[in-house]
Amino acid sequence: MNEHSSDWLLALAGGLLLGLMINYNSLMAKHSTPLFASWVMHGIGAVTSLLFITVFSKKFSANNKINHQYTQGPLWAYFGGIPGSLTMILAAITVNSRLGLSGTLAFIIAGQVLFGLVCDIFGLFDIPKRRFALTDFFVVLSVLMGSSIIIFLK
Amino acid sequence: MIDYILLAILNGAVIGISRAINGRLSLAIGPFKASFWNHIIGFLFLASMLIVTGRFSFDVTTDIPIFTYLAGFFGALFVAVNSYVLPRVGATKAVLLVISGQMICSVLIDYKSGNILSILAQFFGVAIILLGVYLAKSSRSRHLKI
Repeated sequence: MNEHSSDWLLALAGGLLLGLMINYNSLMAKHSTPLFASWVMHGIGAVTSLLFITVFSKKFSANNKINHQYTQGPLWAYFGGIPGSLTMILAAITVNSRLGLSGTLAFIIAGQVLFGLVCDIFGLFDIPKRRFALTDFFVVLSVLMGSSIIIFLK
Repeated sequence: MIDYILLAILNGAVIGISRAINGRLSLAIGPFKASFWNHIIGFLFLASMLIVTGRFSFDVTTDIPIFTYLAGFFGALFVAVNSYVLPRVGATKAVLLVISGQMICSVLIDYKSGNILSILAQFFGVAIILLGVYLAKSSRSRHLKI
């Protein structure tokens, strides 16, 4: 699989989208409950992605043909929404503990990076395996350091 | 305290599992359909949670600011983008870049002119993250397993 320079830019833009999503969703949670806000968000997300499918389906159906070995997705791959919506409940528990928001964010980030490494090394969930270079260690270090500074010194 | 730390770390792994699964689905049916399945399954799952916990009520909807509904739009776009990118750059690099974007976003949203030390700290934090992003970009050729 080829990696393009546009991929890392897309992933960075994805982080901005996620930041906006969390910002608006937590505002809705303040006016209702975290569970309700997450439910509404998933409903609107489902409708929005249906719109995207109708707009972009032609463009991306051509792209799909590249991955012959993947054309039949396994059943478990359709249930990513369940762990996705569980995170909100777990976060509500730790934010309200002594960890607080900053501590929760920091350890969630640590958990995500650790899981990413395990996922790449062992090729979990059929994701292609990867080898790591020394540079990748410095990438991990600088993102974790920069995030900690922003979270704890704000 | 340690149990809450472990719970938060576990939460990070749960997020990673969800994104890896969606990335795998994206390889089969494309990023936008993967985003749809993620949201419809999450929607049904949370609906059952609301019913089971007895918190299913529409009373709360009256004073919610309209623009907060945009979260669903950004979420749909995020899952599509992330599911497309994750199998291409790997789970680790995808999550590091997403965290970087998230941190920059939160600094921009929460920006308040005031404490000069806090502004300097945030500027410094973003600079270190951008250094990491630059390293991630330049390491891409060595990163691939051939």
